[in-house]
Amino acid sequence: MFQRMFRQALLLGLLIFLLTLISGCDRERAEERPKLPVLPLPLDKLQVNFPTGVFGANLSETVPGDIATVNPLVNESLAGSLVIGRILDSLVTLDPVDGAVIPNLAKSWEISEDSLQYTFHLREGIHWSDGHSFTAEDVVFTWQTFFAKKQDELTGENMMDSQGRPVYRYNSRSTFGQLINGQEPKVEMIDLHTVRFTTPEVYAPFLLFGGGEEILPKHILQDAFKNGTLMDQWSVQTAINEPWKIVGLNMFVLESYRPGERIVFARNPNYWKVNEMGERLPYVERVISKIVQDVNSSNVAFAQGLTDFESIAPDNVAWVRRGQKKFDYTLLDMGPSNSTNFLWFNLNPGTNSEGKPLVMPHKSKWFSDKRFRQAISHGINRKGIIRGVYFDRADILHGYVSPKRKFWYNEAIRKYEYSTEKSKKLFAEMGFQYRDNKLYDFENRQVEFSLMTNSNNGLRVEMATVFKENMADLGIDVELQFLDFNTIVTKTSDSFEYEACMLGLGGGAPDPYAGKDILMSGGRMHFWNPQQAEAATPWEARIDELMRQVGRHTDVNIRKKFFNEVQAILAEEQPLIFLVSPKDFIGYSNRWRNIEPTPLGGVTWNLESLWAEPE
Amino acid sequence: MISFILRRLMTLIPLLLGITMLAFILMSLAPGDFLTPVKAQRDVSVELIQAIESEFGLDQPWYIQYYKWLGNVLQGNLGHSWAYKLPVSELIGQRIWATFLLSFSSLIFSWMIAIPLGVLAAIYKDSIFDRISAGLAYAALSIPEFFLALILVFFAAQTGLFPLGGATSIDYEYMSFGGKLLDRAHHLILPTLALGIGSIASIMRIMRANFIDTIRGGFVITARSKGVRESVVMFKHVLRNAINPLISAFGFALSGLLSGALMVEIVLQYPGLGQLMYQSILREDQFVVLASVMLGCSMLVFGNLLADILLAWSDPRIRLERKN
Repeated sequence: MFQRMFRQALLLGLLIFLLTLISGCDRERAEERPKLPVLPLPLDKLQVNFPTGVFGANLSETVPGDIATVNPLVNESLAGSLVIGRILDSLVTLDPVDGAVIPNLAKSWEISEDSLQYTFHLREGIHWSDGHSFTAEDVVFTWQTFFAKKQDELTGENMMDSQGRPVYRYNSRSTFGQLINGQEPKVEMIDLHTVRFTTPEVYAPFLLFGGGEEILPKHILQDAFKNGTLMDQWSVQTAINEPWKIVGLNMFVLESYRPGERIVFARNPNYWKVNEMGERLPYVERVISKIVQDVNSSNVAFAQGLTDFESIAPDNVAWVRRGQKKFDYTLLDMGPSNSTNFLWFNLNPGTNSEGKPLVMPHKSKWFSDKRFRQAISHGINRKGIIRGVYFDRADILHGYVSPKRKFWYNEAIRKYEYSTEKSKKLFAEMGFQYRDNKLYDFENRQVEFSLMTNSNNGLRVEMATVFKENMADLGIDVELQFLDFNTIVTKTSDSFEYEACMLGLGGGAPDPYAGKDILMSGGRMHFWNPQQAEAATPWEARIDELMRQVGRHTDVNIRKKFFNEVQAILAEEQPLIFLVSPKDFIGYSNRWRNIEPTPLGGVTWNLESLWAEPE
Repeated sequence: MISFILRRLMTLIPLLLGITMLAFILMSLAPGDFLTPVKAQRDVSVELIQAIESEFGLDQPWYIQYYKWLGNVLQGNLGHSWAYKLPVSELIGQRIWATFLLSFSSLIFSWMIAIPLGVLAAIYKDSIFDRISAGLAYAALSIPEFFLALILVFFAAQTGLFPLGGATSIDYEYMSFGGKLLDRAHHLILPTLALGIGSIASIMRIMRANFIDTIRGGFVITARSKGVRESVVMFKHVLRNAINPLISAFGFALSGLLSGALMVEIVLQYPGLGQLMYQSILREDQFVVLASVMLGCSMLVFGNLLADILLAWSDPRIRLERKN
């Protein structure tokens, strides 16, 4: 009798334990979600011209990887920027068709005669998602957070580092990204709806780089700013327990976040864009973003009709296309993408800590001869890579700028068509000779080198394999090294002990000056020989000068002239040997209306105007 | 008893010191650090990297970093995650329940199935049932967890009977309480299977061997000759004696409760501690890695301790105290 009772009690206890475990997974929220007040339409609302739709549909999509924070000052991940970009907004934005800088939170701006002062006029009557007014104070506050100095606790003076630079209180990407030649731009509030920036010198990309900063809400974050906890705000803990504390000006607010599972956005009831009938947008009621770990599972989810919008990897296009009828979606070829793939030789003349040269001197001699690099470039079968690796879903890349950036792309640069004869002619000019189909240099040493690339990128591994075969046709032995990404970064930016490397770059800001760290000889990402104290070669010196001009001129045609020359020099010298640029493919579910995809803006650039019949 | 427990817990101190130091050395030997992926981006300036390096102390040698970290831990501070800007304890707190739920359900699942199967296999020794169950057990033991998980993902994708991953459905937030329970249970089935099947096989084999050993005991003959019914002999006398060694196995199973699910969580995209650990190792988010290592190590010691205590409690012949 007693035993039976004991057993029942044990079972009951176990059941209760399991139930508490389950409910432990959804810990109750500390306070109730406040209801967002809906304020009258702003004076300076923006009317968008798309046919009127129906409100209330939910949109589902995937996010690549989990987020680590919702704080734009801390975020380093792509997933994080996508999420933050849905919530926060900036003064200016880019036109999805021609890529020009167009008004956003600022309705207009003036640039002074001397090109130093930028005066932005903000839209009046806009409210943050929690109903608080948006004013120039928020803009000034945002910039204050970038440049606030760390103060000595005893003396109260600004602290300096060993090189006499100020020590900043919050080390964010914007802090250092917005410095112009080491100096801070000044920001001042003229009135509640006007804000003026003064740059220390003429700096052409400021309109886009400075105006593109996401604006932070002063009324929410100023206490944290003062007590030093700004970087700890808007963490995933806030997103889980009190998502309403993350307020923004963009079309959505955070509704809930479950680590590793999903992020739900709700419509911002105080958004400042309206449709033709003067009704407040967006049409979408909720966006449900499922967190996935890689591109393939994201593509699978779309191909099974589970998500509404998706960019499809080139190697997945074929099988995703098969589901078009069954799951009623459309797959579009958007032309060339911003991604580039290239390889380069280590031109660093230095020695390692033991005094040994980083690259063997005789190899260094080959690599630093531009004819050698040109010969290699002629020897690469780029069409073969496109056919064999990308199944025709890529384009030949001739130079630094992807043809997608039509405006900045220089068509007239030197191109290296696939021709082993031309390669061999260049080698002959250098005094190299062939013996038993192997290439030997002028000192009778066999030509061979190693090429490293990151092992986790399957397409790049295949490209490297094609490259090895192409080089074998030239009589050159290439040893391939497939390494961990961190190892590659360490080798290319710290130890410099490698011979050649193949990597790629993604998007990046659309202004050519964004590439200054790659192109200028002192740059940290000047792959082939970074952080030079003084330009090592005359052509690098010329590029440095041209890039300075690109930064200094505000007339876009003059800038283009200078940047064309940069591209021409790069093509002639081949420090980076460009390979191919994959195409962009996007898919969207056919239940959505007002879809007008553009190569620059993709399919969701007009997300506020997209609508579907609610299910 | 108390002095035994204390002695056991004391061994935890050198163990934790050693294992965290090893983790620190290994992380400092691995190429790159937390900032390496940041360095690979084009719009990050040298100044920012230097500023963050000195903020995190990454510009110092590993033993100084270790010393500072140890000082913080002794004051009860496990440190801040660099990627999440959150105290590590909170971060682990977010994920620990999901993993605990999964491990616990697979533990219950495997024991509920393994013990009866083991008993039956012993009673009907050398029968067809015994042969089949032995064959299946060897098959289950030889399939690694992650591979089983992959097969299950494929099965779910083909049939659509089970969700492809995660712990809850998309519309979980809008469900009733009962609906939420069912939804969680539905998502738990595949990970539980993947995690539990391997241990079913091993527990079943142990149970069978013990049971067969015990059947041969003298008290079984006594009981039978007294005229006790066969079922009472088996389940009252034999089972109770045969289950003893499994109690210590249960303790070991507890030690793997939090760290054992790592592979399955990653393959089945189950949002638990394993995923967090895996990602922080990839990111080299130092303090999260160290806290997870310490958690795993402590669970192992506690599990073993619990196994010893349970054994002493169930078997009066075992004494934990040292004889004076």
